Amino acid sequence: MPAKVLLELKNVTIKFGGLTAVSDLSFKLFEGEIVGLIGPNGAGKTTVFNLISGVYRPTEGEIYLNGENITGLKPFQICHRGIGRTFQVVRPFGGKSVLYNVMVGAFLRTNDTRKSREKALEVLQLVGLYNKKDVLAKNLTIVDRKRLEVAKALATEPKLLLLDEVLAGLNPAEVDEAVEMIRQIHKSGITILLIEHVLKAAMALSQRIMVLDYGKKIAEGSPEEVTSNPEVIKAYLGDNYGIA
Amino acid sequence: MGVLSSIINGILMGGVYGLLAMGLTLIFGIMKIINFAHGAFLMVAMILSYWLWKIMGLDPYLSIIIIAPLMFLLGYLTQRFTIKPVLDAEKDVREPIGALLLTAGLAVAIENFILMVFGADYLMAKTAYSGASINISSLSISVPRLYAFVTSLVVAFLFYQFLIKTELGRAMRATGQDRGVALLMGINVSKVYSIAFGIGTALAGLAGIVLIPFYYAHPSVGAVFITKAFIIVVLGGLGSVHGALVGGLIIGLIESVAAQYMTATWTAILIYFAFLAFLLLKPSGLFGSRYEW
Amino acid sequence: MRNFITPRYYLPALMIFILLLIPLFISSPYILHIMAMVLFWAYLASAWNIVGGFAGQLSLGHGVYVAAGAYVSSLLFANIGLSPWFGMIIGGLVAALLGVIVGYPTLRLRGAYYALATVGFAEGFRVILINTTKIGSWHTGGAEGFLVPLLGDAPQHMQFMSKVPYYYLALVLLLIIVGFSFWLDRSKLGYYLTAIREDEDAALALGINTARAKLIAAALSAFFTGVGGVYYAQLIRYLEPNAIAGAIMSNQIVFLAIVGGRGTVLGPVIGGIFLTIIGEMTRILFDQVMGLHLFLYGIIVVLFVIFKPRGLIELVEKPYEKLVKMLNGRRVEGAS
Ligand SMILES: Nc1ncnc2c1ncn2[C@@H]1O[C@H](COP(=O)(O)OP(=O)(O)OP(=O)(O)O)[C@@H](O)[C@H]1O
Ligand SMILES: [Mg+2]
Repeated sequence: MPAKVLLELKNVTIKFGGLTAVSDLSFKLFEGEIVGLIGPNGAGKTTVFNLISGVYRPTEGEIYLNGENITGLKPFQICHRGIGRTFQVVRPFGGKSVLYNVMVGAFLRTNDTRKSREKALEVLQLVGLYNKKDVLAKNLTIVDRKRLEVAKALATEPKLLLLDEVLAGLNPAEVDEAVEMIRQIHKSGITILLIEHVLKAAMALSQRIMVLDYGKKIAEGSPEEVTSNPEVIKAYLGDNYGIA
Repeated sequence: MGVLSSIINGILMGGVYGLLAMGLTLIFGIMKIINFAHGAFLMVAMILSYWLWKIMGLDPYLSIIIIAPLMFLLGYLTQRFTIKPVLDAEKDVREPIGALLLTAGLAVAIENFILMVFGADYLMAKTAYSGASINISSLSISVPRLYAFVTSLVVAFLFYQFLIKTELGRAMRATGQDRGVALLMGINVSKVYSIAFGIGTALAGLAGIVLIPFYYAHPSVGAVFITKAFIIVVLGGLGSVHGALVGGLIIGLIESVAAQYMTATWTAILIYFAFLAFLLLKPSGLFGSRYEW
Repeated sequence: MRNFITPRYYLPALMIFILLLIPLFISSPYILHIMAMVLFWAYLASAWNIVGGFAGQLSLGHGVYVAAGAYVSSLLFANIGLSPWFGMIIGGLVAALLGVIVGYPTLRLRGAYYALATVGFAEGFRVILINTTKIGSWHTGGAEGFLVPLLGDAPQHMQFMSKVPYYYLALVLLLIIVGFSFWLDRSKLGYYLTAIREDEDAALALGINTARAKLIAAALSAFFTGVGGVYYAQLIRYLEPNAIAGAIMSNQIVFLAIVGGRGTVLGPVIGGIFLTIIGEMTRILFDQVMGLHLFLYGIIVVLFVIFKPRGLIELVEKPYEKLVKMLNGRRVEGAS
């Protein structure tokens, strides 16, 4: 396993009123990893992303990126420091073209419109949206919206990419394509933390998996270890989700 | 007039403010639209009521029977034929403001239409009770204001009962809370919107009618009232019906109390300041929930 | 090398050329005054468009900035003789400061709440303006309004007996704001503002300091609006709080931009020209019918919001593109 810690959560807890959505969560991500974050509906996965990306401030605990404490920073500051994210419910700039959407992201690292366009086109190539660059984002199919979501985040040149269920709602062929795309992104040197409901894909992609239930981490390890963990089977796999 | 008298008369006026603001807050609560034409609707009702009184000698309070349904219809049709298409077109826009602009345009059109047809005169229905007052020792309470106040409270009460007791009222509140869920529950959201806008407009109309025996109407009188109504609904919490009534009373009270110590204009400035403070520090107002801002 | 003799370049140049020539053919000061007003309204709508169109913050209180520019420059002019040319800069800066003062606390307000807050600020400002008759020893006129001292022909003080210079000044202002909008539309800031308009949370997640971008937009928009106010003060020479800082001014600016097409470079210009001409024509033709011209105004706004929410620009764009293509085709044919 690569040695350098990229992201670290230390005893992170967040409460919404009476509800503890994430409870005393600690983990490390190492540079170059792909890690899966799974768990039943409402387990708190998206909330973890919202904590890391600065949408919420933890009630307790700290978050470190490259050893720097980023707890309480604003989302845009965290993005600047190299964490990109996608939204589970996609959030395109609907009235603008695909290219425009991605250029917004690319402007993070340049002030020059031409350079931003070049960067955006490069990213669009990577996610397979190049041919649709002039389509209005709101007119995209769901698959393409998910791709666009990834492209926007990628354009900000993140070190760490948080992918929230980018495979959900895709048909098997599309899932295979998307998995390949994520591999490509990983290969380009970006560390990835992904939330997935499509377990097969999550298992195939991830080197390591963490399982969340009721805001707590109940298991962690290689895909094989996790799937044979009785607690996970009870909490999660006993649900409607089989490992198909 | 003594201090106490003017305070009481201020509160009486506050009841009318509350009635007007209720219509505004109802429309916002259910449709998430700020109706900038609300004041114009109040003005229309004032003018209609005046002319019914002038031409047919109809007491403004009796004209409610004619004007309230008319105002409901006006609101219903306005939503059905102007706002609805705009809302439909903006369905997937995150922060739709087309409808807000539309109502602002409507306000200008309505005001100037009335100006064209009825002229710019200041009109007031000088009924037998217009100048009357009840005098108890040094206290002097204006009779038309008292009538207006009592009517406003009665209407507010009935309206509240309607909202919580009737099937339609429940459907309206459900729609306000979550449009998507309401759709799933089989509620005809578009119809609920039309009815809500109709009722909101009728409430503005009622406020106009009870004002006309003691307040001068003219084509731009709505502007005076709508800014007050904005202030009140923010104070009471946008979307909160009882908040609107309480907010109305508070503003009526402040206006009359402050008038004892400073000029009306400084009172106005004070109220704007309070309004902004609320909007900026506690957008949910006194009674609103924290949702949506 | 780029070829500048293409319709993309010569059509706009032609339009500017025509606008430059107009005063040579129109001698009526009245008509020239109206033409200057047409350009001026197009300018104001474009200034509003920076914050209301690009950034999507529905400001219904831009009258405040018009008033700030107008009053600041006129008071400095009347009391210490400062030329309104300098007043333009100071008035603009004061307006920009006000823009930030309004913008900062309203940063987290969205949609209707933001709109209401701007109404609150504008109304509060108007009431203060009406009730202030003096600032120190300087008379402001209060509700009666403020008369800008008339010096006759004094170019160094932005005063001219002829309407022609006013026309050209409005044209220059308009060209500046159009040039600025053109740049903005293609710049990082423009992309950022548009992203904020479309989805503020998504913009934040892409590393955009949305608060800073919105404040910059507010300041720029208020600055240009304030500069417009200075011009207005010298053209009309009478400042009346209700007319200049009230809802009529604020709403009018918004309506022009909406009808033309907010969030686009030329939409507000087209809206400003179209609606102001319609307004003036109805005023001339039906001057006995009180309210008619504003009634039509309201109806036009309503119709546009319902049927052409993207504005007039949508109607103009396509024929223009066709024209460009046609002219292009002819040129290519001619060359072969
Ligand atoms: N802003 C919030 N306010 C209140 N409760 C919240 C908020 N955000 C999340 N929650 C609650 O926290 C819990 C975890 O939600 P979260 O969205 O993180 O789950 P998830 O694991 O991503 O689920 P899913 O698989 O359905 O996406 C849920 O009970 C949710 O209702
Ligand atoms: Mg989730």
